[in-house]
Amino acid sequence: MNKAGTDIQFAICGSAGDGTIAAGDIMKRAAAAMGFHVIAFDVYPPEIRGFGKCISRIRVSSEQAYSLKEQTDVFVSLNDGHAIPHVGEVRDCGAVIYDDHLIAPVPEGGHISAHVRPAQIPYGLPIRQVSEQATNSARSRNIVVLGYVAGLLDMPPEPFHKVVNQKFATKPPAVAEANIKAFDAGFEVGRKVFRLDDVEVGSAPEADRGEAVMMTGNGAIARGFLEAGIQSYFGYPITPATSIMERLAVELPKAGGRFLQTEDEISAISATIGAGFAGSRAATATSGPGLALMTEMLGLGVMAEVPAVIVCSQRGGPSTGLPTKTEQSDLNLAVFGGSGDAPRIVIAPTNVEGCYRCAGMAFEIAEAFQVPVILLIDLYLSNRYETVFPSGRNVFAPKPRQAPERREGEEYKRFALTESHISPRALPGDPDMMYTATGLEHNELGKPGDVLHMKMNAKRHEKLKPATRYPGLTTCKRFGAEGKVDVGILGWGSTFGEILEAMFEAQEEGISCSAMKVVMLSPLPEEELRAFFDDCEVVLVPELNYQGQFANLVSGALGRPVVRLDRTCATPMAVADILAEVRRLASDVNEPAHAAAGGGA
Amino acid sequence: MAAPLHHVIIGSGSAGFGAAKTLREGDPDCRITMFTMDGIPFYHRYELPEIFRGRTDWRDLLAVPPSFYDEHRINLRRRCRVVDVDGAAHTVSLAHQETVPFDSLLVAAGGRAYLPENLTGQADLIHGFGSFEAAMKVYRDLPKGGSVIMIGGDMIGIDLLLTLLSTGYSVTLIVNAQTFWPHELSAGERAPLLDVLRNKGVRVIENARPVGISARNAGAPARQVALDDGTEVGGDVVMAFCGLASSVEFMLRADVDIERGLLVTPELRTTNEAIWAAGDVCQIWHDGDKAYKFYHGWKNVRVMGELAARNIQGAHEPFDVDVEDSIWVGEDGEIHSTFWTRET
Repeated sequence: MNKAGTDIQFAICGSAGDGTIAAGDIMKRAAAAMGFHVIAFDVYPPEIRGFGKCISRIRVSSEQAYSLKEQTDVFVSLNDGHAIPHVGEVRDCGAVIYDDHLIAPVPEGGHISAHVRPAQIPYGLPIRQVSEQATNSARSRNIVVLGYVAGLLDMPPEPFHKVVNQKFATKPPAVAEANIKAFDAGFEVGRKVFRLDDVEVGSAPEADRGEAVMMTGNGAIARGFLEAGIQSYFGYPITPATSIMERLAVELPKAGGRFLQTEDEISAISATIGAGFAGSRAATATSGPGLALMTEMLGLGVMAEVPAVIVCSQRGGPSTGLPTKTEQSDLNLAVFGGSGDAPRIVIAPTNVEGCYRCAGMAFEIAEAFQVPVILLIDLYLSNRYETVFPSGRNVFAPKPRQAPERREGEEYKRFALTESHISPRALPGDPDMMYTATGLEHNELGKPGDVLHMKMNAKRHEKLKPATRYPGLTTCKRFGAEGKVDVGILGWGSTFGEILEAMFEAQEEGISCSAMKVVMLSPLPEEELRAFFDDCEVVLVPELNYQGQFANLVSGALGRPVVRLDRTCATPMAVADILAEVRRLASDVNEPAHAAAGGGA
Repeated sequence: MAAPLHHVIIGSGSAGFGAAKTLREGDPDCRITMFTMDGIPFYHRYELPEIFRGRTDWRDLLAVPPSFYDEHRINLRRRCRVVDVDGAAHTVSLAHQETVPFDSLLVAAGGRAYLPENLTGQADLIHGFGSFEAAMKVYRDLPKGGSVIMIGGDMIGIDLLLTLLSTGYSVTLIVNAQTFWPHELSAGERAPLLDVLRNKGVRVIENARPVGISARNAGAPARQVALDDGTEVGGDVVMAFCGLASSVEFMLRADVDIERGLLVTPELRTTNEAIWAAGDVCQIWHDGDKAYKFYHGWKNVRVMGELAARNIQGAHEPFDVDVEDSIWVGEDGEIHSTFWTRET
């Protein structure tokens, strides 16, 4: 659904090496600098495969948007071979921009103009020629076309200039100068074009929350970690989590922390648990295949009650699966993975700002509950850019630690059974508080034994329950209509953006509905969920996995039925799919006879 | 099974559109591809003056909705410039380096506005009216109630002139041999027609030829036209309506005969068996006059498009080369033309 005021989605499609992602990056940062809300997501080929299709999609809006739109307003082709299959995503009266002076012959249908629908507006320009005339090189085609778009849509060039200068600040000045020339050349061409599209860029909203910063989910997590005083990071690269490691490799040593790239994921989690045991704010980040390898040590962290933070950015699975495609199919692994009853805290932010805030609080929560905390995101959220308004003051700074007080005459009980189920935790080096930490079941002192297995199991589970009400952390939140509604939409992770967009659209259509996002997946905020279910005639759970893992989790915990909408399409959930299901369910609620007769989808 | 025939049409105006529609009606399986330089689908160019009545959204001018092309499987390719036709290989080459094969080719590219030789150096000071974009530029550049200097005044121009008058603008008409084109009139035949225009408030200048145009950016009027009698005329925009010149430059390798336009039989076939032509681009053989003649005007053009399509599909219908050509002042005091009415 379009927002009031400006709401434009740009898409730039090219081949790896065309500067597609770079052009998209400049567009999104310039739009953010103008004061617009921005959501962006880049699709690129598996890095290990070399060249392939890249698409950068950027939604620029006056009002807060929650997902990309399904239809693009302005589409740019830097490589027709890759772009042609995507022309259909451009809306009626939207713009399709392409090079109309190719240097190599193409067969019939090989040029994108053959695929522009009559309702779309074609804009051809000699992109390569303009680049060569401006810079003596065809390498700036991506910047030329960016300038063309800005000129065409009457966007001011200054924010683009500023971003280009920032982007190439570490290179010789000639690089930025050439790119500015390329931009200006494209801008002049675009400015003179008679426009037939109906794409309108309005004025940006007044900023009332301070200066916006463009971040990806991974970037937000790294920033949250740094603001929360992360001290140790151990990681092994894996798509789509690698950029967290790359950022911390640069920033963490500067902040006085330690960074180590380990030889594999098992080493990474082992070092993280070890550092957590020693009192260091420690983290690692991986994807599903890495988390699968980490489950044994994760169990040790649960058993030994060691705080640690593990980021899992999901991608298509199982096994190596779809390394550069998004999915939400590691929920079971994150919540249940490992041997035995191994409860842990699993937090799944739903947007980039949520990544920042959850990462900022993850260490504190891990320490408070003496347990590994998994931040569960996915590729769509890892790589998605959004405008974020970071806190002006550092709200995530670690609080001073209070060492446990040892009672005279008593041995230190690291795993004491207490009313809160949280035991006083000493760190190695605390005087007179040596204890055994082991993966074996143990007594209150930490010594191996099975006598207290039942009580210790209960302790490990019960201590986590208050986590659902941890101050400062949104563990779930309801949106839309309050009170009784026909359709409730329950979501988690990145899919919640699409859920919100679908819900708003359904409300526009007069459908009684609301949505709830669940951020804490383990333990579940059951009380709030029950209240939501009580208010909804029917609850829909859209998610990006085949098994309906979150639907299973919720319906199993609450004993309530849900309607599933499971997709494994390797792309974000389509708003239209959710909306269609909401319509069907609303119809069934209001026309039971129709539903009983098998009406609907 | 044989591959469906691929009919390629160059041009998406009345002739091209009518041909595409007729081809589809005659063969549900054939492929139809239309190339046009236009940015928007087919609209009636004679409706462009309506812009001055407020119809400034191009979607309001479309003859059919864009979905028509999808529904009729007509591949409309806009912003495509044909640069070459290979009459032997049966291929069309486009400026962006794409080559498209055809089984039959209909050239309905129309013509571009003809500009008298002595004014070509000042073309950038003359507003065109050959497309929606050009018409909108006139609309935007012309101040409300402003004045237009019209050189020539062919029937397209006269139509615009009448609309301008009725919407509060003023017009100066510099008469030349192309005034009322495509009607070929003597000075005597033109006189009563010009009187009609004078009576409507048009300033008519006869017996003087424009020799130069200059821009006056400092203030109104924005354009100044120098005449060969030493006088000057001021206005906000200058427009030239001096008839059309056929667009045939891309046909030089097509193995067809060309004079001013593509030479065709009354059945609209060129000297290449696979290539046909219709509309303002072609000259049709008139056996009585023993000459190839142009037949302009949207009604003729539309008839030619449909006729060519039927003949491509096997018919042998000739164009009526004796179609009436007249212009007169009616009892209502208005100018009437067989070439240029808005009747549908």
